[in-house]
Amino acid sequence: MNHFFGEAKKVKFRGGYNILLKGRPDDTVKVMPEPKVLYLPLRSERFKFSEILVKEAERVNGGDALAKDPDNYDVPLLAPRSGTVRLKAAANHIVLENVARLDERADIAEEEMSHIAREMGAGGIKRYKLLSLGAWQFFYDAFTRALPDPLGTPQAVIVSTLSLEPFVTRGDVLLQKRLLNFTRGLEHLQSLLEYQPIYLAMPDIDSEFANLIRSHIRGYAWAKMLEVPLIYPYDNFEILARRLGLRRDKGPIWCVRTEGVLAVDRALTLTKPCTVKIVSVGGIGVHSPTHLKVVPGYPIEKIIEEYVFEPAARVIDGGILTGRAFTAETLGIGVECRGITVLPELKEREFLGFIRPGWDRSSYSDCFLSSLRKRFAERYTTGVRGELRPCIACNFCEEVCPAGIMPYLIHKYLYADLIEEAEQARVDLCVECGLCSYVCPSKINLGKQLIETKALIEKEKQEIRQEQLRQEEARKQSEEKTE
Amino acid sequence: MKWLLKVIDAARPTFEEGGKLRILNPVFGALEHFFFAPSTRTIGAPHVRDPLDLKRVMSMVIISVVPCVLAAFYLFGLRFLAMIIVTYAAGLTVEAIFAIVRKEGINEGFFVTGFLFPLILPPNLPLWMVALGVAFGVFIAKELFGGTGRNIFNPALVGRCFLSLGFPKVMSASWAQPGHGLVGNMLTWNVDTLTSATPLAAAKQGEITSFVHMFLGNISGSAGETSAFLIILGGVFLLFTRVANWRSVASILGSFAILAGVLMARGEMSEPMPTIFGSVLWHVFAGGLLFGAFFMATDPVTGPTTNAGKWFYGIIIGSTTVLIRNFTGYVEGVTFAILLGNIVAPILDEIVIGVRIRRLRREG
Repeated sequence: MNHFFGEAKKVKFRGGYNILLKGRPDDTVKVMPEPKVLYLPLRSERFKFSEILVKEAERVNGGDALAKDPDNYDVPLLAPRSGTVRLKAAANHIVLENVARLDERADIAEEEMSHIAREMGAGGIKRYKLLSLGAWQFFYDAFTRALPDPLGTPQAVIVSTLSLEPFVTRGDVLLQKRLLNFTRGLEHLQSLLEYQPIYLAMPDIDSEFANLIRSHIRGYAWAKMLEVPLIYPYDNFEILARRLGLRRDKGPIWCVRTEGVLAVDRALTLTKPCTVKIVSVGGIGVHSPTHLKVVPGYPIEKIIEEYVFEPAARVIDGGILTGRAFTAETLGIGVECRGITVLPELKEREFLGFIRPGWDRSSYSDCFLSSLRKRFAERYTTGVRGELRPCIACNFCEEVCPAGIMPYLIHKYLYADLIEEAEQARVDLCVECGLCSYVCPSKINLGKQLIETKALIEKEKQEIRQEQLRQEEARKQSEEKTE
Repeated sequence: MKWLLKVIDAARPTFEEGGKLRILNPVFGALEHFFFAPSTRTIGAPHVRDPLDLKRVMSMVIISVVPCVLAAFYLFGLRFLAMIIVTYAAGLTVEAIFAIVRKEGINEGFFVTGFLFPLILPPNLPLWMVALGVAFGVFIAKELFGGTGRNIFNPALVGRCFLSLGFPKVMSASWAQPGHGLVGNMLTWNVDTLTSATPLAAAKQGEITSFVHMFLGNISGSAGETSAFLIILGGVFLLFTRVANWRSVASILGSFAILAGVLMARGEMSEPMPTIFGSVLWHVFAGGLLFGAFFMATDPVTGPTTNAGKWFYGIIIGSTTVLIRNFTGYVEGVTFAILLGNIVAPILDEIVIGVRIRRLRREG
């Protein structure tokens, strides 16, 4: 009975590994100076804001929708500040000029609200607010990672305060002054549900702050606490969902991180748009790794100028394991950006690197002297650190895999073109954490192969489905004709 | 070391497409990458990689057999060094020819085979046989199967097996008198050939070699298998680095000891020592069992990949060794046992993977 009253639920994890990168963001939040121009990318990891809602040179207010993504329940791209729209100034961006902080749109217009209330009822209003005020974009489905349907009913909700990949915005930094907002956000979330549980994933550490959160949550009967060891990627939503015994076929699972809960609170308590982001900036080549308070569209150039001193560095949108390098084309922070990680490019080739004792390089294996020493943060580069070789069946990839699949096996199936066997080996369970690629001593990019195979199988399945639909339609038509 | 990199960079065009020596590109590449780590960078996620590469893995194996190599040099003289050189020359030639024909790089795998092969041979074997054996092993057991990572059998063991089947008389009459004293045989080329052979062969005739000698290594036997102490030393290092998996070692030695103990208790197997426990330990130290268990059976490529498979693999090798040693005409059976294990390994993997996939099917 106990766990219904907020007691911690124990779950078992497997695999996982922490890469300790130098330049961990500290726990402060610095406010960046107000920008003059904003560059809002029209594409992010999940969204493609293809339907533009504003005209060239139009004056918009903060909170106005600039564009929306018709494939993702019309999730809007909000103007974070007021300004003048330029559509053609930069490819794939909406540029806001003469940006000012003033006249933020305070509320959704009365008239609009009453219309929605008539259409969808009280619960519908809340969901409409979440979507139109930019809070819904923080929601994920556990298994598909896509944006869940805002009007749908989930089988469960997973809230995670962890961010274990080096480096993305730390959950504790977001929570520091907003613990009340967080718990209020959880209450709002609960009000959207009927009886479905909310699982709250928390670090299994015993700090004062963690205890404070625990005592706050303990009062909620509907929130089940989940203590998660701080090992990457145990904060992955799919891993959490699977470890909780939730199943794909029982409906969507809403997943949201700390920033999402705070956005829910802002949207539903204040009815204000969520346009401010806290983004981590960390890694090697960063002056003082920290967190930045910015708005989407903030010029990346400005941040690099201010924080990055390494000239030949790769600037990554997200962490070093799953993030994507910013291209020259991207000018501003995207709506889904959670952190900026800087990693120096490999410059010098190492002389007789393989026989060095390796006191200063930490490895998943124990083949370096550093295994006699406590784990330490290392200066990584983008070097592959070895030559591509055939798989030697060392089994490291299976050991480290948090999803419990056998990457080497799927690699061998792919080598022999056995896609069906790869499907049998459950390549679809891969959570794309990238650890198998990281540990492979033969330097095989297993992660990429798994992701590509997943996509291929998914595509084939879709084609088969469409083919079936087409045949059925053809049959119906021919039946109609004979009638 | 900038000058060396400059030399290599200057020489590169000669070996690349269109250069005069492009046919030797794999050899050049192997040399280049021996000295300098490659300049490849990651593309996309994940952006960083672990420092471990195959060169490092292979160096760990070589470091772990260094004590055995030095001991073999001390005990069996300069000829042993010549055996290493001949092995390398013959094996690398086969390896390089295949790399050139396949237009692939030369793999690190051979550098380990080149050290292990002389260690499992009788120390007074004619050098041409050493060359023939390693060439056969690399050619038949490795390259024909597709090179490093794709071979089913351990190339060094196939080479040895070939020699002991093809030249049984020479193989069983090439044991050498181990050296002793301060310099041992380190300055001797022609070490006296020993006709009364290894402890195992002697034991069949009722002569029991002292346990202490077998532990220290001044006994007759294959070049690297004589000193139980040094093999355990190197083997434990290999286990510590996790290059060798402890599961196969534990199950080989465990199953060997248990089966040997049971057979002795039932009186089916001779007891070289007064107690069964001592006798079992004597048998573990005798012959190539320790060397095979630590350095041969732990080869990840030819053994099973799955952890459960490794347990069964070890049991097959350990018990087959006991059976061959005790119930056949052969005095030693580790080579055959490990090769048998190599055959069974893919089947074991298939069974374990089948079970795991069935379990995975139930996942959400």
